[in-house]
Amino acid sequence: IWRRPSSTLSDRRHFAVSRCLTAKAPPARRPRERVEIPGFEMVTYGERMHYVPGLAKPVYPQWERDYKDPRHYKTPPAHQMPLYKEKPCYVYNQRTSALEGVRQALWLTKAKLISGLPPRLLSLAESPANQIPDQDERVQNAIKHARFWDTTEDRPCKEKYSNTLLSNLLHLCATLQSRHPAIGRRILAEKYSLATTWKRGEDLFQVRGQNGLLYNCMDPLPEVSGKQEVGDTADHVLKSFYPVSPSIDLQKVHVYKEEVNCSGFREGYPYPHAHTLYFQEEGDINCKLRPKQFRAKMVMFAFGNALARAHSLYGTQPQSVLGRPITVQAVGTNGRLFQFLVFQLNTTDLSGDNGIKNQVWLDEDVELYDYAKLRPLIKKKQVKVPAGLAGYKPETFRKFLALYLHGAV
Amino acid sequence: MMAVSCLTRALRSLTVSQPALLSAQAVTQTKLGTVVPCTGGQCRGFLTTASLDQNRTRWKQTEKYTIKPIGMKKTGGRDHSGKIRTHGIGGGHKQKYRMIDFQRLHYESDREPKPFEEKVVEVRYDPCRSADIALVAGGNRKRWIIATENMQTGDIIKTSGVIGRMAVSANEGDAYPLGALPVGTLVNNLEIQPGKGSEYIRAAGTSGVLLRKVNGTAIVQLPSKQQVQVLETCVVTVGRVSNIDHNKRIIGKAGRNRWLGIRPSSGLWQRKGGWAGRKIKPLPPMKNYVNLPSISNNTT
Repeated sequence: IWRRPSSTLSDRRHFAVSRCLTAKAPPARRPRERVEIPGFEMVTYGERMHYVPGLAKPVYPQWERDYKDPRHYKTPPAHQMPLYKEKPCYVYNQRTSALEGVRQALWLTKAKLISGLPPRLLSLAESPANQIPDQDERVQNAIKHARFWDTTEDRPCKEKYSNTLLSNLLHLCATLQSRHPAIGRRILAEKYSLATTWKRGEDLFQVRGQNGLLYNCMDPLPEVSGKQEVGDTADHVLKSFYPVSPSIDLQKVHVYKEEVNCSGFREGYPYPHAHTLYFQEEGDINCKLRPKQFRAKMVMFAFGNALARAHSLYGTQPQSVLGRPITVQAVGTNGRLFQFLVFQLNTTDLSGDNGIKNQVWLDEDVELYDYAKLRPLIKKKQVKVPAGLAGYKPETFRKFLALYLHGAV
Repeated sequence: MMAVSCLTRALRSLTVSQPALLSAQAVTQTKLGTVVPCTGGQCRGFLTTASLDQNRTRWKQTEKYTIKPIGMKKTGGRDHSGKIRTHGIGGGHKQKYRMIDFQRLHYESDREPKPFEEKVVEVRYDPCRSADIALVAGGNRKRWIIATENMQTGDIIKTSGVIGRMAVSANEGDAYPLGALPVGTLVNNLEIQPGKGSEYIRAAGTSGVLLRKVNGTAIVQLPSKQQVQVLETCVVTVGRVSNIDHNKRIIGKAGRNRWLGIRPSSGLWQRKGGWAGRKIKPLPPMKNYVNLPSISNNTT
């Protein structure tokens, strides 16, 4: 339906010698069609080594270099690659923006959504014993540093301030190490590549990519919900979004490695258990995700990390109930709004829609502060929003700290 | 930078004492249009204009369908020679072209050719046409189509190529072949040849009427009251095209017309000829797009 690109004018040869050169170029002629009649040989001017009117243009075989030159290498087409498979695989990478958002991620990971954080984490957040001395003041200083003081220009860009804010908050949480020595058994890791495979229905899915900041731990996270709740999820029915298929917006590949399971680190890494993933909305410049898609990305990568761990612990065979459910947390931010996620992997048997489901606790769009303006917002000569930090909410940082301390307390 | 190097290369070729015919290879490499020094020192000229490659239409020659908007090059009413062919076009706000899939019955490559449903994800304004466009998603693909009057986000629209014995009670926005619709339905996005894609009744607020169905063909009245006869397997969408108040809008000022890319007409008073004035004529005869086999006398 779309027109084929026509040959460029510069490909044509201008043999005429006595015509005017400044006239407009004649319109490009369509190249003569080459007709192959079986049983007949084309008489070409190839042997005569010069053009002869009336004879056909010779067609030579494509010249291939007989040695391997890395600067001139043409990748073979997909079906000639050694890893080509007939069955396609749908890959969720860090730039995927899923059309249906969290619903699609829940269907793909066979999970049940519970809004709000689990009660144990909430109680961790509220208890005063786990607070940093001068917590509110120090957090507000951290926000002001990220939003106002970090640049010589007027205001830092969103990517910069969300990055600085996250590192400041993490640093604040790490100051509690003297009280909870288990925090010392953790480490941060960046730019690690994750890859897991699983089967859902008849299709193969993979999660791959460099997602965000990973907080690794030597010990696994304790499970958040008990066996009773895990058994109750078997009655939950996954929401379907017909007519859109669940693999929409996922990258379809025919060339892939089967059963690829890589948590990003080699065997013998001292911090094998993924604790929390920290996502930033401006992480990838080429990819702008809307809030629903951003949350879906968080769910998928938390699931990917948990599944990679489960495969390395229990093997790649699907297991309907894991002896010890694997928990991974995730925090996503855009500099002001935070999304908190806790993913508990209860089963690796994801091919059917029945059976025990995984669980997702999601706390969406939690504000850390209302406004951080350089100049006050004045409407009709009245200050509506003062300059500086306004509307700080201490509960958000308490939740952040609770997710951080989960497992160490 | 590249132009300077091309220029120096061309000038270097001209300093050769014997006028030699440049090899065609060098000619095609220099991007300065025709650079052919002639034998006998007759005309030795070269163009310093930019490349004569007409790359004005390359932006619309992609083969892969994508929903991402494509940057468009405005022609200003000029054709390939650079002269104005259509007056009154030029300027206006920059527009990005969104590839619309006019072939409504476009089966996805993996799926079987059966009737399918799609979900409307977004209905939005399109700068390139008067109607609104809708992003629909079905199966594994998303595409843009012309939106009908009451299309909202979240609607499910059905596309079918099956003609049953009974006429289908069609909802607005669904697409069926003409043979499956009841007589008298308002239709839009009519295709003349089955499978070619719709070419008629696409403007804002327009709709055609299915008048009658005659053995394998159907007769549709277009918005200009012209009647056409097409095969009954041609797929149409049901309902009126979106943005029905498009003809009632008031431009308000000359500047708004300029934003739309419409340049003022020439102010010269020109005597109107036989084409002007109100004409009352009978309707043109019905146009037949069905290629019926000719009845020849030599059939044995």
